[in-house]
Amino acid sequence: MTFDSCNPQKNAPVLRAALKCGSLWLQDHLHAYMDQHLPGYFHQGLSGYSHRSLQNLQKNHSLWQDLSGSICKTASSFTTAGKTALLGLFLIVFVAVFAPLVTNFEPSAISGGSLEPPGPEHILGTDELGMDIWSGICYGARMSLIIGLAVALLSGVGGGVLGLLGGYMGGNWDKLLLRAIDITMALPSFPLLIVIAAFLNPSIVNVILVLVLLSWAKPARIVRSSALAMKKQHYIISARLNGASPAYVIRRHIMPEVLPLLFVSILNIASYAIVAESGLAFLGLGDPTSKSWGMMLHYSTSFRSIYFTPYWQWWLIPPLVALIFLLLCLAFIGRDMERVVDPRLRTGGRS
Amino acid sequence: MTRLLEIRDLSIEYKTDCTSGGVSDSSSEGESAGGCRAVDRLSLTLEKGEMLAVIGESGSGKTTLALAIMGLLPENASIKGSILFQGRDLNAMPQEDRDLIRWKSISIVFQNSLEILNPVMRVGEQISEPMIKHLGLGKSEAKKRCTELFSQVGLDPVWLDAYPHQLSGGMRQRALIAMALSCQPEILILDEVTSALDAFTKVEIGELLVRLQKECGYSMILISHDIGFISSLSNRMMVMYAGRAMERGDTNKVIDSPLHPYTRGLVNSTPGIFLYRDLWGIPGEAPTGIVQGCPFYSRCTQRKGICKSSCPDLKPLDSEREVACHLGGIVTLLFASRMNYSYRLPDGGVLDAVKDVCLDIKEGEVLAIVGQTGSGKSTLAHMLAGVMGSGIGEIYFRGNRMNGERYGSKYGGIQIVFQDPVNSTSSRLTVLDTVKEPLDINHLEDKKERIELVKEALASVGLPSSEAFLNRFCSSLSGGQRQRVALARALIMSPKLLIADEVTSSLDVSTASNILRLLKGLQNSQGFAMIYITHDLMIALKVADRIAVMETGRIIEIGNSHQVMLHPQEEATRKLVMAKMNRAEQIFSG
Repeated sequence: MTFDSCNPQKNAPVLRAALKCGSLWLQDHLHAYMDQHLPGYFHQGLSGYSHRSLQNLQKNHSLWQDLSGSICKTASSFTTAGKTALLGLFLIVFVAVFAPLVTNFEPSAISGGSLEPPGPEHILGTDELGMDIWSGICYGARMSLIIGLAVALLSGVGGGVLGLLGGYMGGNWDKLLLRAIDITMALPSFPLLIVIAAFLNPSIVNVILVLVLLSWAKPARIVRSSALAMKKQHYIISARLNGASPAYVIRRHIMPEVLPLLFVSILNIASYAIVAESGLAFLGLGDPTSKSWGMMLHYSTSFRSIYFTPYWQWWLIPPLVALIFLLLCLAFIGRDMERVVDPRLRTGGRS
Repeated sequence: MTRLLEIRDLSIEYKTDCTSGGVSDSSSEGESAGGCRAVDRLSLTLEKGEMLAVIGESGSGKTTLALAIMGLLPENASIKGSILFQGRDLNAMPQEDRDLIRWKSISIVFQNSLEILNPVMRVGEQISEPMIKHLGLGKSEAKKRCTELFSQVGLDPVWLDAYPHQLSGGMRQRALIAMALSCQPEILILDEVTSALDAFTKVEIGELLVRLQKECGYSMILISHDIGFISSLSNRMMVMYAGRAMERGDTNKVIDSPLHPYTRGLVNSTPGIFLYRDLWGIPGEAPTGIVQGCPFYSRCTQRKGICKSSCPDLKPLDSEREVACHLGGIVTLLFASRMNYSYRLPDGGVLDAVKDVCLDIKEGEVLAIVGQTGSGKSTLAHMLAGVMGSGIGEIYFRGNRMNGERYGSKYGGIQIVFQDPVNSTSSRLTVLDTVKEPLDINHLEDKKERIELVKEALASVGLPSSEAFLNRFCSSLSGGQRQRVALARALIMSPKLLIADEVTSSLDVSTASNILRLLKGLQNSQGFAMIYITHDLMIALKVADRIAVMETGRIIEIGNSHQVMLHPQEEATRKLVMAKMNRAEQIFSG
């Protein structure tokens, strides 16, 4: 009798376990956040529910501690470039979040004359319509970050879960997943993106969805191969023989191993998504009403013979520099993360 | 054959202070108030010409039994039951009649020869004494008969005039045998005749006894704790423990496949039966005083509730064997039949890794599965452990059919230890978390107890149980240490069956032998059964009770380890054995 992995009944508990595991995670993060920002949340009369979540929190408290601890440890083992990049990313996030505080004008408001050079009122000058460019950069950062984060998280988590299920369960489900990954990877993504964006209404949500559809395969493949390899590890077999449920194995053994890998791939996807969004906007396929770095580049480069005027210096350069700076930050962080995660590059190992 | 001696329900108790009784075998048991029971409801028959061996540890009541038959028990002993010699009850008969029978019909050869003989009398005189008394011979006749007897037992008649202390141990033993044979008795009792002798003399005495038995035709009761010695002399064997008969049957069969765990323990502690195996005694001590249940309860590996409350009687198992055990002797722990497993090859073909395998493991037994790489032994081990899930064959564990359940999720289940130490423990977990994991998974015990259990398990595998060590990550341990940690994780569930899959093959020789001895020691002291998978026949011979040889997915040979080693039936086994032998020869010839 051969290894019967095609049995769907056997696979059902795994599916359930993975879902349960995921929801536990989300819950924990949510509650940890709430606890931090809304003190007293657990003590106000949400009796039944909050009691249960408290228990959950206690149960998985060590996991959360482990995670935050390992993040700090990871950050401290970065190179100087990596640390600088981390700082840069925080700066961009800060500017994006507190955009109204660091700018004087609404990004879409006609706040000055057309094409004013940088001056005390408009730090980086204005564009042809008299909109403040610094304000555009700050609010545009929101767009880039939201797209990057949303796409990365959606495809990272979604692809990760799919890969985990495929790798751990095996069987037909895995075969299906593998084919889907192959197809997705084989598609020429950017041209397809252009076509889809051109046909669909170019709203943020659509752009995010399209990007997610094109980028989930990579994390799925990474997690799948990792789960597949881990499944054969004797300590996991031992745990299973000792009666461990799939939820336990995934939470206790596979998650800690897979998460860092997933994190690196999420960073890479974020870079890709930001570039793709900017690219689409640059080509004029972005949302014309939104403020984004890509749109700014689009408008400035569509300005007839901008290079024969001095305008490119304050109109074209700032969004370009901002974009390059963000991508560099992500790239450096990604590189350092990879170094920390890859055991072959890890020096000394854990002790 | 006629029934010469019959003992019915014999019980002998020593009252209070029995240390003064001078009974060598049972003198140490007299602490409990109201005396101690040296022989407990024992029944026994002896046919004419039969050679019966009585085997047991010190204090099992063997000598007391011999003394009771001879009627030489000290005064503080009280006897119940009957000893019938040719239909007459020796216990009931008056002392004078008894004196007639003693020595003339039933004689005994004692163990401690220097003390038994009178040091100030010449040997010849001492031997003549009973002849003069019982047979009514004259002095010269007696002397003549002495000379005959001496040449019969292989002693030069010049020694007749020597004093006992002038003889060597072996010679004195021969003289004692001559004395016992002097009146041509019908029953000869030999009480530990060879325990103080060297191996060579032992063999000589053994041969002498066989020869004399053929010449004189007496029946013999051989009392010994040396199974090796009696195995060649007796045709029936009785195993005694705490005054009770535990097992009785044909000598060779009893040694070859013991029914009672105690018998197996004795056989395993005897050197010279299995040439290559290490020796392991039975852990624990015999009970003192009067026990209510089975006397072997405290040392038994398969005890149950009933064993504590009631004492099993000697019951016939088949026409030839009898055993005193509520469970009918050593039970079968795991029985697997029709085990099949095949791997799908990349080219679409199918490789039968295990084919139609059927095997059983007895309680507390070590079974080694030996074979070349790729013979399917690891696959078989994984199947038995439940790695492959259900539908691979029929597995019965402790009488229940297993159907792909998690065998290791309860105490007393099946645990497996894998080959690669690096792979078998997670580098991410601490030693504590690794060993504790089975308890965590199954929510057994509370937090504090879990840590205590972890410490115990670590101590049993010879690892430190300090706080610092518990919090070390497995990645910082050496291969041998990680393998021990994996072993501790298996042992924390106190398994009934431990499957060790090539546990030592990726370790260096010294670490490997340490782990091997540790494993066998734990097996012996905790009494679990073990399946030991190895490609090394020599290692298998060191630890295993039985060996199964696998080739291309089938078990081609299974049997007692010494038999597989000395008389391999199959070509492949022969090759395996010869390969080892040749290698050893090459090493020594340079």
